[in-house]
Amino acid sequence: MQTYGQEGALNTDTELSHVLHDSKHQAAFYVEENKPQDLLRSFISETGLSEEEAVEVLKAVKGGGGGGSGDFSASLTALELLQKEEELRSIVTFSSQLDESLGGGIPVGKITEVCGVPGIGKTQLCLQLAVDVQVPQCFGGVEGQVMFIDTEGSFLLQRVTDIAAAAVRHCSLLAEDDEQRAATETFTVETVLSNIFLVRCHDHVELLAELHLLPDFLSQHPKIRLLVIDSVAFPFRLLFDELSQRTRLLNGVGQQLITMAINYNISVVITNQMTTRIRDGQSHIVPALGECWGHAPTIRLLLQWEGSRRLATIFKSPCHMETMVQYQITPEGFRDADQSEMPQSKQPRMDTDQSAADPKETSS
Amino acid sequence: MVVLREGMCPGLDEDLLRDLRAADIKTVEDLVSSDIEGLAQKCSVSYKALFAIRRVLLAQHTAFPVSGADLYEELLSSTAILSTGNPSLDKLLDSGLYTGEITELSGGPGSGKSQVCFGVAVHISYQLKQSVIYIDTTGGLAASRLLQMLQAETSNTEEQMEALQRIHVFRLFDVYALLGCLYSLRSGGLQQASVGGGSVKAVIVDSVSAVISPLLGGKQNEGMSLMIQVAGVLKTMAKDFNVAALVTNHVTRSGSGEVQPGLGVSWSHIPRTRILLERVEKAAAVSRPSLRSAKLIKSSRQPCHIKEEFDLQWWSRSEKGSSGKRKLDETDS
Ligand SMILES: Nc1ncnc2c1ncn2[C@@H]1O[C@H](COP(=O)(O)OP(=O)(O)OP(=O)(O)O)[C@@H](O)[C@H]1O
Ligand SMILES: [Mg+2]
Repeated sequence: MQTYGQEGALNTDTELSHVLHDSKHQAAFYVEENKPQDLLRSFISETGLSEEEAVEVLKAVKGGGGGGSGDFSASLTALELLQKEEELRSIVTFSSQLDESLGGGIPVGKITEVCGVPGIGKTQLCLQLAVDVQVPQCFGGVEGQVMFIDTEGSFLLQRVTDIAAAAVRHCSLLAEDDEQRAATETFTVETVLSNIFLVRCHDHVELLAELHLLPDFLSQHPKIRLLVIDSVAFPFRLLFDELSQRTRLLNGVGQQLITMAINYNISVVITNQMTTRIRDGQSHIVPALGECWGHAPTIRLLLQWEGSRRLATIFKSPCHMETMVQYQITPEGFRDADQSEMPQSKQPRMDTDQSAADPKETSS
Repeated sequence: MVVLREGMCPGLDEDLLRDLRAADIKTVEDLVSSDIEGLAQKCSVSYKALFAIRRVLLAQHTAFPVSGADLYEELLSSTAILSTGNPSLDKLLDSGLYTGEITELSGGPGSGKSQVCFGVAVHISYQLKQSVIYIDTTGGLAASRLLQMLQAETSNTEEQMEALQRIHVFRLFDVYALLGCLYSLRSGGLQQASVGGGSVKAVIVDSVSAVISPLLGGKQNEGMSLMIQVAGVLKTMAKDFNVAALVTNHVTRSGSGEVQPGLGVSWSHIPRTRILLERVEKAAAVSRPSLRSAKLIKSSRQPCHIKEEFDLQWWSRSEKGSSGKRKLDETDS
């Protein structure tokens, strides 16, 4: 029902994919593009594959979804791309205002970075999304699984359970037809929790290793639609002395992430901390990890305080103007600031009993 | 740097290649500048054979002297100037993108590089009715934004769809895939793209730095040679097919806060024209976060450091009057 890109197909044969992943062989392949027979010969002698296998590999590379060749089977027209974009559902945030300014929610096939100071709600948004991505399709959801990479130890099970319970309740109150009622049978807190794959990474080496292995995991778990890394900044903080090495590693991470986002149709959501930078004698609070890293995320969201209000700004996106909306963190999770403007039209008032709850107990 | 390969020219067979490598002769340059007589002895091959090989290689790889008049003639007959569709940028570029050349846009995150690339692609496909190759290496290409830009040009959906079909998108995320794509475009792929209506007038790579910088500065200098290969194939493609190449690059910031295009000195010779995009940070811009400045930092036609301001929302302007010809100030107010 879905194609997961060439990489997915190749991973069924680890040996071949291993050969392919060796960049040197790819380089050799491309340098000799004009002479297929020479290429084949040198490819065979370099890899020790039989001719038949080598032909298979090269064919796979040529027609690859990775788009390795200028052959037009690897390209698509902007019209086809538009259709693809429209087919892919976004992951709702449960803040209708944010969803609206993002054109439906956090997009699949792109990298979205959430930046903000500690306690502003970055992790809350990530946990919310880990639940939201599982909303059944008949409720307009993506109905996918999630891979959650926790580098700060901030994944709190109790908090996820609360957010999941609220989302489950929300859907069951919305259920109108038989299909939706049937879907709520399987959309429970237990299933939500069982669809979250959690990995803890303690330093940048573990994170890099995990990212390296992830494509295989994604091909084995084709229902994963969301990859969260909370945060990217923390494991790289110790590399501060070697800025150029850090920049290089991060550049590579960015390319790995976008490859996965597109080849496996997943939404990549990462968080980043803020840091102070002095420029023109003034200090500014800017996202951490350096300016260069800022190219990697397709969309950057900035969460910030304005007095006691929490604001979310889309401050980089290829298709959205800079927009700012207000949000809040309630015991149920990430929500619109103004309760009277809650998401879906048929608004179940599941939060009436919480109206007096202190909204700022949670942290990012 | 061109690596010697078997079959590059008659007589250059596997055995000879091995012997040459053993004598530390690996590239065309090495061979051409070597002492042929000594080499002939070392590789136990006849002086005559080696001399012939060198002659062929020289013919294949040397730049020939040409007269200025011939050059000018060729320029007039072949160079086209493609308007970017944005008056401020056209002013900076002395009317637009020149075919046969590489033009570079550099700037920090969100500075508007991709927006300009989108605008150029839309202008060429819609106004000029020609094809565009768009190589997206960052996943930043949003077809919805292309559509939005087209909607500013015309309300005719048929025309919008046709224009979108003339933009051919490659999404690839590492330098090997990029090289592979460029090589096969150069060896015929470009003509293939022209079949579906209009010939290819521009090849856009957004961005080159995304795939090159992860390999630069490491212990092995693999990145550098790959960068030069990318530059080489882009250059020859632009020339041979007479297309405009538009590439984007990130920036680096010196200690004093000065902004410079990335990828270093070797790359700086590659684009004929370089433009630096930045957010406009002055107070008046607070209410208009989409205001950008464009500064010419390398050009063979215009004085450098001339600067223009433009608004990213220009491409979202509503369509009426003489579309495509409206001035920036009209959207002011
Ligand atoms: N529909 C739109 N209308 C107005 N402005 C927009 C629109 N879509 C995007 N923008 C502006 O364009 C900016 C992004 O520009 P762009 O994607 O070209 O950045 P970039 O220079 O390519 O950055 P990067 O190097 O990170 O890819 C957004 O932050 C926003 O301000
Ligand atoms: Mg961009």
